[in-house]
Amino acid sequence: MTETHDRPILRIADLALSFPVVRSEGGAGGGGKRAKPQAAGEKVGGEVGGRMQAVRGISLSIYAKQTLAVVGESGCGKSVTAMSTLRLVPTPPGRYESGSIWWRDEKTNQEVDLLTLSEKQMRSIRGDQIAMIFQEPMTSLNPVYTIGEQIIEAVRLHRDVTQAEAVEIAASALDDVGIGDAKQRLKEYPHQLSGGMRQRVMIAMALACRPRLLLADEPTTALDVTIQAQILELLRALQEQHDMAVLLITHDLGVVAENADVVAVIYAGRLVEYTDVVTLFDRPMHPYTRGLLGSIPRLGQRADRLQTVSDGATIPEDFPAGWKVHPHVVGPEGLATYANDKLGLHEVEPNHWVLCEPMADGPHAGAKAAAPDLAYRREGVGV
Amino acid sequence: MVNESDKVVSGDAHDAGDVCEGALRDVSLSGEVAMNDQANAEKQSETGEGKRGRGRSYAWGVVMDTLRRRSALVGLLWLVLVGVFAVFSPVLANSAPVLMKTEAGVSSPLVKMLTAVDVILLVMFLVTGLMWFGGRLGVLVSAGRRVVVWLGVLVLVMGVSFATIEPPRIVDYGKWRAMDAAGEIEWAVYAPIRYSPTDRLAGQARKAPTGEHWFGTEANGSDVLSRIIHACRIAMAIGFIATGISLVIGVVLGGLMGYFSGVVDMIGMRLVEIFEAIPTLFLLLICVAFFGRNLYVMMAIIGLVGWPGYCRFIRAEFLKLRQQDFVHAARACGLPLRSILFRHMLPNGVAPVLVSASFGIASAILAEATLSFLGLGLVEEPSWGQMLNQSLSSAGTFEWWIALYPGLAIFLTVFAYNLIGESLRDAIDPYLNRG
Repeated sequence: MTETHDRPILRIADLALSFPVVRSEGGAGGGGKRAKPQAAGEKVGGEVGGRMQAVRGISLSIYAKQTLAVVGESGCGKSVTAMSTLRLVPTPPGRYESGSIWWRDEKTNQEVDLLTLSEKQMRSIRGDQIAMIFQEPMTSLNPVYTIGEQIIEAVRLHRDVTQAEAVEIAASALDDVGIGDAKQRLKEYPHQLSGGMRQRVMIAMALACRPRLLLADEPTTALDVTIQAQILELLRALQEQHDMAVLLITHDLGVVAENADVVAVIYAGRLVEYTDVVTLFDRPMHPYTRGLLGSIPRLGQRADRLQTVSDGATIPEDFPAGWKVHPHVVGPEGLATYANDKLGLHEVEPNHWVLCEPMADGPHAGAKAAAPDLAYRREGVGV
Repeated sequence: MVNESDKVVSGDAHDAGDVCEGALRDVSLSGEVAMNDQANAEKQSETGEGKRGRGRSYAWGVVMDTLRRRSALVGLLWLVLVGVFAVFSPVLANSAPVLMKTEAGVSSPLVKMLTAVDVILLVMFLVTGLMWFGGRLGVLVSAGRRVVVWLGVLVLVMGVSFATIEPPRIVDYGKWRAMDAAGEIEWAVYAPIRYSPTDRLAGQARKAPTGEHWFGTEANGSDVLSRIIHACRIAMAIGFIATGISLVIGVVLGGLMGYFSGVVDMIGMRLVEIFEAIPTLFLLLICVAFFGRNLYVMMAIIGLVGWPGYCRFIRAEFLKLRQQDFVHAARACGLPLRSILFRHMLPNGVAPVLVSASFGIASAILAEATLSFLGLGLVEEPSWGQMLNQSLSSAGTFEWWIALYPGLAIFLTVFAYNLIGESLRDAIDPYLNRG
């Protein structure tokens, strides 16, 4: 374990976001989410006052150079959390019920709450200090402009440079992501590139302004496995090179095992477990995490039927005393369980946070939910 | 969930922590190898194609695809012809000689007759042509600079023309004919059609086509062909200006509605419905009653009422586009709203609107023709619809030449716009489907 910086660059505290429950189409329902018609996923947080809680009580912190993986199934609130960080969730219909997103400015070393900034201030942060890459490389680039025009526009927006200098920056950004003959490539249109190449271009575009934090929203989901490995490898190398933090959103535990320093598991819009990657795979504590890990088919083992998440969702026998963790139940009752206000994220073991409830007669009675904060960074990654 | 996590490479979940470090090194090694392979493969496919450099843009692709269709070419050809007529009408059909030699020396009565608008159009046509040739020869290649130079020349020419050019208010067209008959003119070069559109020949009214008047003469004795040529300018202007006004309003409102949706969309749609309920023709009639017969008022009215269609199109496109990743990416880059809406979303959603605009131009021309036909159009200046109106004389006789030729002009122009619009639509479709 190495301590990187003494303070996190991004700190999300008790974030809750809700959307009005609208059944009809028409742009109003869940604008910020890409996977729209997922009734089960969207309802997860339970409905309160006609509004659906997309996420609630989300707290996490990211240190420089750290990779924080946010893991969860479709519609659990992963993407919304990342989108909130850039304030890309349209409000209305979305509404921040509570919470704050503290961003530490590099130069001034001051923390600002991104949720209180004006749209104009927010724009100067987007792309410049926090950048984002998306799941679908096929659609994330504008088809009517050359990739050069797109990268240069982003660069000139945030950097006071001439066109010629911007071209240089764009070309070196393409070089960085392993695209050869960058000057020529700048003149090509997205449809001339393969999926893997497009994702590289997206990364180049995101990193052209040297952001401090990169939000990677399932960056490899749409790519085939060999390209996935390349892209993740590339991200890791660039992270090292630029001292950048990465918020990696994924549902792929293989990706987590290979890339993450710290893992946040989200289910039904709530953070259920938060710890470093080794501990998570070694000693998962929350039933949902256990079920999730248990459902991974093992190589070299014969099984008549694959294990589901529910099969493995057991409560560990040696769960620390004084904490009550609810069993993982699928379906509406399960969602109600997760919507329970008594539940909170508690540090049940050192540097290991789990969604549970302090027992009324136990040693932790009346404990307040904690904001997890873990500066863990594993060694030897990407070197 | 089970399916989603089956990609995991590390073996046992419980000792994944130990395994993952090793697996990671393997993956990174194989990743590098694969990366090189991939790069090589892409290089090969690239050289195999044998093409490098700037690719074909979407817009250029659509234009080329449109022009490959014969119907679009025919339509375009006709419109270019009408456009050339519109620009050169005073030189093509005029009673005044282009050049003449009298006792007083060589003079050009035609030049003295030119109005400021004539001069502006002629000069700008020349400038545009020169620029095109300049671009071919490598002068002024940058598109941005060209536009600046073009606009600069336009402002200059407009300023100078409106300040200095003052053609005679009342012209005696018969003067030159009389001079010619009296033998005062030694030699003269005339325009191809020797009659101005308002040159009313005494005793020549409603004469069928002859060698002198190819398309005959109309109720006041003016040459029909001359009037048709001069009316091209109005037909072109009303189509483009009215549709231009509609497009600007429709695109801005529709874009905002589609992008913001919610309340903005709700209010916007009500506005659209209100404007859709206004019958254009009756509004035009009322406005003619209030403001008199004015071409510019007509253009403005047709433009201000015609936008809801474009607005709906753009709104629908933007509703679709706003969920696209590249729009999210543009926002995540910190681009301002103006750039997101009009630089990133509009070019992707404008195609159907352009198609509908080509039909819109046609219907604007028709609206003007209808109004003129009803006798509520322009009085002095020639227009196709107004000529149609004259084909039925007060005595009840029908003069086919007054109806046929202007009618044909209207039909061909509207048809040409429709041909182009359809070709454009066909050209856009496969691109949309190609994803």
